[in-house]
Amino acid sequence: MNSLKEYFRKGDPYVLLSSLGLILSLVMVVFFVGIILVKGLSIFWPSDVELVQLKDGTKYLGELWSSEENKITNPDHSINVVPKVQYKTGNRDIYGFDFKWIDKSEIESISNPADATVFERKEYGNFYGFIKKVAFKGKEYTKNNELFDKATEALDYSENLVEKQADLMKSGNPDAEDKIEKLNAEISSIQILIESADGSLNTFSLSKFVGFYQPNQMNLFEKSIHYLLNIWTFISGEPRESNTEGGVFPAIFGTVMMVILMSVLVVPFGVLAAVYLNEYAKQGLLTRIIRLSVNNLAGVPSIVYGIFGLGFFIYMIGGSIDTFFFSEKLPEPTYGTGGILWASLTLALLTLPVVVVATEEGILAVPKANKEGALALGATKWQMIRKIVLPNAAPGILTGLILAISRGAGEVAPLMITGVVKLAPAMPLDTIFPFFHPDRKFMHLGFHIYDVGFQSPNVEAAVPMVYSTALLLIIIVVFLNLLAIFLRNKMRKKYKSASF
Amino acid sequence: MVVNIKSSLSNLQQNDIQNEKIIIETRNLDFYYTSEKKSLINVNIQIPEKKVTAFIGPSGCGKSTLLRNFNRMNDLIPGIKLEGQILIEGQDIFDKSVRLEDLRKKVGMVFQKSNPFPMSIWENVAFGPKVNGETNSGTLNEMVESALKQADLWKEVKDRLTDSALDLSGGQQQRLCIARALANKPDIILMDEPASALDPISTGKIEETIEELKSNYTVVIVTHNMQQAARVSDYTAFMMVGELIEFNDTKTLFTTPEKKLTEEYITGRFG
Repeated sequence: MNSLKEYFRKGDPYVLLSSLGLILSLVMVVFFVGIILVKGLSIFWPSDVELVQLKDGTKYLGELWSSEENKITNPDHSINVVPKVQYKTGNRDIYGFDFKWIDKSEIESISNPADATVFERKEYGNFYGFIKKVAFKGKEYTKNNELFDKATEALDYSENLVEKQADLMKSGNPDAEDKIEKLNAEISSIQILIESADGSLNTFSLSKFVGFYQPNQMNLFEKSIHYLLNIWTFISGEPRESNTEGGVFPAIFGTVMMVILMSVLVVPFGVLAAVYLNEYAKQGLLTRIIRLSVNNLAGVPSIVYGIFGLGFFIYMIGGSIDTFFFSEKLPEPTYGTGGILWASLTLALLTLPVVVVATEEGILAVPKANKEGALALGATKWQMIRKIVLPNAAPGILTGLILAISRGAGEVAPLMITGVVKLAPAMPLDTIFPFFHPDRKFMHLGFHIYDVGFQSPNVEAAVPMVYSTALLLIIIVVFLNLLAIFLRNKMRKKYKSASF
Repeated sequence: MVVNIKSSLSNLQQNDIQNEKIIIETRNLDFYYTSEKKSLINVNIQIPEKKVTAFIGPSGCGKSTLLRNFNRMNDLIPGIKLEGQILIEGQDIFDKSVRLEDLRKKVGMVFQKSNPFPMSIWENVAFGPKVNGETNSGTLNEMVESALKQADLWKEVKDRLTDSALDLSGGQQQRLCIARALANKPDIILMDEPASALDPISTGKIEETIEELKSNYTVVIVTHNMQQAARVSDYTAFMMVGELIEFNDTKTLFTTPEKKLTEEYITGRFG
């Protein structure tokens, strides 16, 4: 009995509990990051293409996607286990589906034909098949050993022509129209004949293709190169196919820009508010109420901020701006509709409480002796705040910024009603005067995840995209945070508090 | 302790307040931190120019409160009340025409705990002149050098003026704070137990600095340490529970105190 008492007195069970708590949180974080890493990164790997022949003679060509065991309960309550495999067979325009579940028992044979080719198309997803004929520059190629090289050559040629055509269109020259027509004819004459697994022959214009590769012939090194290229395309490319394919660059750009704009807006506001609250306002009931309200604002659901942003920023302020400055464009709204400026302002409002609270803590941590010292030297209160309080509170302010970024970058709900769109026609920053367009709608990684994962017509094909986008969003938030932490550590070193 | 004080006093010359020019004068000064608590009671004191005046007394006797009224540092505390007058160079410092910043420039202060700003040594010393409107870097350099020389710090720091002031030792930091106050070219320097947190060697250096300062400045120093008061001051005021008990030439106060309370305190019977 005594030893049990001693055991509790020493606190061993609580140490155990707290360590278990820590382990649990760590396991969850590792699990979470692990899942996203594995699922988000594996999509870019060019896996082998398998030719599956079923017992009834049907053939499918595709990538092994997943496997599952279906449990079927018989009438006599015994359970049959039916193993199934899922193949990504592509060719949606022909089959009507991208994925095919196959009972393992129905499979006759599986092979990896060396010349099986994966085609990435601008529309309708991937196509899986075998190149049979390539036609360009008035010549046709059908010899097996030269087909892949000639197809690559033809694709380059076709892309070249498309680029030329785009340049001509941009120039706006009226006598360029003939040339454009000519180019059009030539581009559509560059054709490829592909045999799909079931033996049907399909002819495509190569301008409809993004690229193609033969994974069964690639060695590990070639696959790695292809893998890295795929990641690069994902990061730097434009989205295709209602965002389920291609890259996410506009969303990355929109996210980073929105966060930066938000930071630029929230920090001065928050810092000034905290300075007034701590240094100028007479401490009493009123300041306590204000402080409490600010703290509570941090708990208001973000959608409420979104609605406020819509009502106040967009309809009231944006509407007034339109009436006064852009009346010639009405009823088409310029600022009276969602845009990156309004979204950033809404998020700035949302993150204001954390900045105010963190800045206040920073200000309170400034040694009173330093403040008195400055005043005793004849500094005015404002000089004292600017030269002593604010520099010393800078690490606190940056802590607030870190928290604001963490919260703001991941927010989606308020953005959906203040300016985020599925597909933005133009970036908010470009080379057209005045370069920065605060009224433009933008894309955001968080919304991208929601849109691709839950709103796209082809959800199954989009799942990997959701994981990789989530991974990217996390990486960006971590990166922005590291930047702020780096700044804070630099400040801390400079303004370590005076003591001896 | 008595022997110690006597030996410090032996090389001290006799002063006579009648012959001095008065720079700080209080008239019937009452001071309240809160409406109930009276911290200074009817204080009347005349502090002579270009001399060192020490305030001694037990903890909580109001000596720091009195000192901090001379540059109105107590104004920062909410809820205080002050009655009576404080005249500096004949001017009532609570008069509306007095700019607080000008008063504090004229009446510099050194605090108990050294409080260098987290900036370079140069920036620290130049802080006062800069906030008071000096922008010429040549003038600022001269001011910094002269202030550091007067505080006996120039030799130690002249090669590292751009280093952080926080890298200095405790004693050097306190002398930096003295230099910072001197850079404003004040008439009066208030010192609130400037050496209480320092080792004996650093304390000795601070005392030497005070000794040198009195030819150009009026120094008012609050101290717990009676030997220190005897060593550095020309005049000493003894305070208790908010009242000024006795104010006299240091030698007289320590050798032939008029009041019994003073005698009891300096002979160590209480406090």
